[in-house]
Amino acid sequence: MTGNTKAMVWKRFNLREAIWLGFCATFIIITRAALMLKLNIPGHAMFFTMFFLILGRGCVQRMGAATLVGLIAGIMCTMLGMGKEGPLLIIKFVLPGIIVDAAALLYSRLAFSIPACVIVGAIAAAFRYATSMGIDWLVEMDYDIMLKKALIGSTMNILFGAAGSALVPLVVRRLKAHGLIS
Amino acid sequence: MAPLNVIKPSASQNQPRVNGYAFQYRAVDSPVHRMGAGWKLLLGTALCAAAIGGTNPFLLAALLIVNAGYYFLARLSVAELARDLWFFLIQMAVVIVLYMMRYGVPEGIWPGVRTSLRILLFFLPGIILLRTTRISQMMYSMRRILPYRLAFLVFTSLRFIPFFAREVREIAMAQRLRGAHLAPRELLNPRNWQDLMNCLLLPLIIRALKTADEAALSAEARAFGSYPKRSYWNSANYQNSSGKTAAVNDMEIKETL
Repeated sequence: MTGNTKAMVWKRFNLREAIWLGFCATFIIITRAALMLKLNIPGHAMFFTMFFLILGRGCVQRMGAATLVGLIAGIMCTMLGMGKEGPLLIIKFVLPGIIVDAAALLYSRLAFSIPACVIVGAIAAAFRYATSMGIDWLVEMDYDIMLKKALIGSTMNILFGAAGSALVPLVVRRLKAHGLIS
Repeated sequence: MAPLNVIKPSASQNQPRVNGYAFQYRAVDSPVHRMGAGWKLLLGTALCAAAIGGTNPFLLAALLIVNAGYYFLARLSVAELARDLWFFLIQMAVVIVLYMMRYGVPEGIWPGVRTSLRILLFFLPGIILLRTTRISQMMYSMRRILPYRLAFLVFTSLRFIPFFAREVREIAMAQRLRGAHLAPRELLNPRNWQDLMNCLLLPLIIRALKTADEAALSAEARAFGSYPKRSYWNSANYQNSSGKTAAVNDMEIKETL
């Protein structure tokens, strides 16, 4: 990202980058709230969640950017009561963020490649279900039943997550072409 | 100094509210509502731990009674309970069916019921926390836990929710008047996603980038990050019995983490 602010947040992001990542989290909350009331399709919220997670990482090319978006979105969702999981929501948002950051570490041009974004978006969306699997494991659910339940529950998440991620390169390329991000 | 207008809770706040969505905060006065968010979190953690550890049917029954008592002590209605549990009832049906497919019809029922009941008991205290804790109360508790730089980002992001919600609405309305396919149902069709990107997401992102720049400059001008500790002014702590704010010379600066 371009910008000339000097204050740093955790020596990694400058203030402008950190606030922009916070705004990505704000957009996740707004779209979740809007779609929650208008559509009744399971998993649709993953479309914008994955879009803004990968977009955050695409605009701020630093390790931890997507995780920070996930962390802020998780804390805000917990505060606003947007999910049955309560404080566990933070983990549900942070996990996909970690996956996106890890993928960007392996492939630095992640946000510019549609196939890479689709694959990472699908994997990260699937990992969001890991929290539920963790709870199933804690209550000693049988492994095969746990996997079947996860498959039923996460299929739509994966599809919407992959679809949302596919839009990121188109946006990032345009922002870069106009000099809005470095 | 002119007296402050003290906002009294309206009578309607004590009336049960029928509308609303699952896990939504319900504004009534109850012993659970009056408990601190930290205590509720502690009690919730204990109940969650008991749900994880409980395999005995009697213990599960006792936990169910305790959770139900906790829920209704918060003056939440049966209709609200049904709304909150709707997802879990569907999940319960799926889990029981999967167990019956694996172990057969009579043998699979109890393990399925037990597992899904434990999942429900794990989530119920969190639902009560959300139902009975105001956002401001939650924020106050969070502020004591979060590092201040993270707290700054969270509260800045929260503060901009109405701003960006208004921006989204205005941009979407203007673009729809120009013929863009941005209605929620239209967006289910992938052919309309190009409109979503070109007419809504791009203008919104550019607006957000500019706003981030302005907000960062504004925070920097107020010396954000210049000192390792941050001071803040909490006016709620400085009201005397008549509701007036205390004089400036009584002012203290409280240090956060």
